[in-house]
Amino acid sequence: MIPSTEAAIPEPTEDVRLSPPVHEVGPVEWARLNLFSSWFNTVLTVVFGILFSWLAYRAARFVVVTAEWEIVRRNLTNFMVGRFDRTQLWRPWVAAGVLALTGGVVAGAMGRVSAELAAQQDRTQPKVTLAGYIQRFWPLIIMVLFVLSMTRTIWPTILTALVLAVGLAGRRVGTALPPAARRLTWLYAVVGLIVAVQVLVAFGGVGWGGWGGVHINVFVTVVGIVLAFPLGMLLALGRRSSLPVVRWVSVAYIEFFRGVPLLALLLVAQFVVQFFLPPTIAAPSFLMRALIVIVLFESAYIAEIVRGGLQSIGRGQIEAAQALGMSPWATTRRIVLPQALRAVIPAMVGQFISLFQDTSLLYVLGFFELLAVGQNVTSQTDFVGQGLQAVTLPFVAFIFWAISYSMSRESRRLETRLGIGVR
Amino acid sequence: MTDSTGNLTSAALVAGGTGEAMITLEGVEKWFGDFAALAGVDLVVGRQEVVVVIGPSGSGKSTLIRCINRLEKHDRGRIVVDDTEMSDDLRNIAEIRRETGMVFQSFNLFPHLTVLENITLAPRQVRRQSKLDADAVGMELLERVKIPEQAHKYPGQLSGGQQQRVAIARALAMQPKVMLFDEPTSALDPEMVAEVLDAMKELARTGMTMIVVTHEMGFAREVADRVVFMADGEIVEVGTPQHFFDTPQEERTKLFLAQIL
Ligand SMILES: Nc1ncnc2c1ncn2[C@@H]1O[C@H](COP(=O)(O)OP(=O)(O)OP(=O)(O)O)[C@@H](O)[C@H]1O
Ligand SMILES: [Mg+2]
Repeated sequence: MIPSTEAAIPEPTEDVRLSPPVHEVGPVEWARLNLFSSWFNTVLTVVFGILFSWLAYRAARFVVVTAEWEIVRRNLTNFMVGRFDRTQLWRPWVAAGVLALTGGVVAGAMGRVSAELAAQQDRTQPKVTLAGYIQRFWPLIIMVLFVLSMTRTIWPTILTALVLAVGLAGRRVGTALPPAARRLTWLYAVVGLIVAVQVLVAFGGVGWGGWGGVHINVFVTVVGIVLAFPLGMLLALGRRSSLPVVRWVSVAYIEFFRGVPLLALLLVAQFVVQFFLPPTIAAPSFLMRALIVIVLFESAYIAEIVRGGLQSIGRGQIEAAQALGMSPWATTRRIVLPQALRAVIPAMVGQFISLFQDTSLLYVLGFFELLAVGQNVTSQTDFVGQGLQAVTLPFVAFIFWAISYSMSRESRRLETRLGIGVR
Repeated sequence: MTDSTGNLTSAALVAGGTGEAMITLEGVEKWFGDFAALAGVDLVVGRQEVVVVIGPSGSGKSTLIRCINRLEKHDRGRIVVDDTEMSDDLRNIAEIRRETGMVFQSFNLFPHLTVLENITLAPRQVRRQSKLDADAVGMELLERVKIPEQAHKYPGQLSGGQQQRVAIARALAMQPKVMLFDEPTSALDPEMVAEVLDAMKELARTGMTMIVVTHEMGFAREVADRVVFMADGEIVEVGTPQHFFDTPQEERTKLFLAQIL
């Protein structure tokens, strides 16, 4: 026997075939592959590197040195809630707590559901960590930290921490819910929203007329989405209905509202509606009118987005459901709509983001929303004529951006999550 | 229907299986515009009988079985399934659909639901079964088609053969009296055909009434009680597998068999 052949057979210490191959690229290797792969790329890298560094430097200098943040500091409450009665400020804080609690419960319940599904499928799910949260919500976190850095007392920071704590507690509750209660997340969301609004207005609270700041932008966006989404879905289904009357009404509605600019509709609602109402009926408040117009307008766009999704569902899906004896309504609700809505998440969230930004049109109607605050505070006696829009408008833009970008990030996350089930 | 030998009509109209009729087709016609996809089809399928339908592309095989559960509306003639006559009455349609399961060439599983949810959806929606009962039945069926370990995966994570077996389990979950198969193995890679055919053979052994459109002649020989040959929207020849494959009577049948065997 030759000893060397024996030595050639390795001891089966560990089964390497059972672990997937690991591709790791070091930072130097990464830079070589992505930044300096050719002389042209190298030039691009250097030029843009210098440009970006300079821009980043100017931006940092603006934030830290040049900008006179005094105007934002003094008007922070205006930016957040407008002219909201200053003796009632506990209400927005409690409302924020209610929303945090709701969000926490919903997130906890949904997380538990998807964790259990992952366990059934022998998938490991990434653990929820602080780093994960920071990575997921960094635009919002930066926004909150920046706003808090502008406060003059410690109270807003403490209250924000409290709201966060309530949210985390809600998440605990959501995770611990029994299975049957876990599926009612949409109900919790709606109830949470209603309670939050009641906290603001009920029992001597502040009516819509007294709201303002970013608070009103967010409120109009949320209510707009909650109401326009189901309406748009019905319109999309109506447009494909086999009943001609339903079809015609849906088409006429959609094409009318898509054909008129939102601003024109808003102005009509403010200035024209009262001429059409009999004098015995009081015209609804301005904000109510704006909300109605926004819901009508957005639902037409949402209908077209949903229709695109409906068209992407193959005949085979419907035939399979029919062959199983499912009713047309059950087929629509359980087979067609879930797949159609998944397919249009990016377009839908895009529409929601543009709705959020369109709430700045309320400025033109005299509402004291975020953009209006940014403009108006520069004519306060202490600040007038100093060109301080250069400070307030970037601040306003930053808040719009942080919220919009967070929506877009969450939509992409939702997409990849739901994408598991799709081919 | 051409009937030169006089033996076609009798063969098509005598129910096999137990001898009692489960499905009766009488002079069924289906027109697409002025094209007759079915030009007067007569066929009686007995309880517990397995009928295999073969024929060239475009001969109306799919149309035939799709008329039986009203995925297509027939224009003339009668269709009776388990003593319920197909009509425009929605209750009749629902009744017949509840009694017939269908398996499609392209599976048509619901991609947004897990395998088990695919199977339990209709029993829960249509038969109002509780989740517990439906899940239990669903797992039993998955055992039967030999993929219980895939219950919580999504269809997209399964092989074609596995998906088609899920589709069979899904149809069976409604406890149908008749199963319709439209080329269930045509979309599969060759190595996966056997596992689906095995599931179908097992089903035939349990006494399920089946109409199977397929190009798998081995399956037809082994499992079919009768073989039906269609061309141009008509039934050309009907017979037992031996009779049909070994001593076909019609010229068109001989020509077709010569091409595919
Ligand atoms: N929706 C439709 N509209 C118009 N013509 C149709 C329609 N469905 C089927 N046909 C026609 O009816 C005829 C029969 O079609 P069918 O699908 O039943 O054939 P088949 O025997 O199943 O063929 P294959 O083996 O290719 O599946 C074909 O000529 C087809 O073109
Ligand atoms: Mg076919």
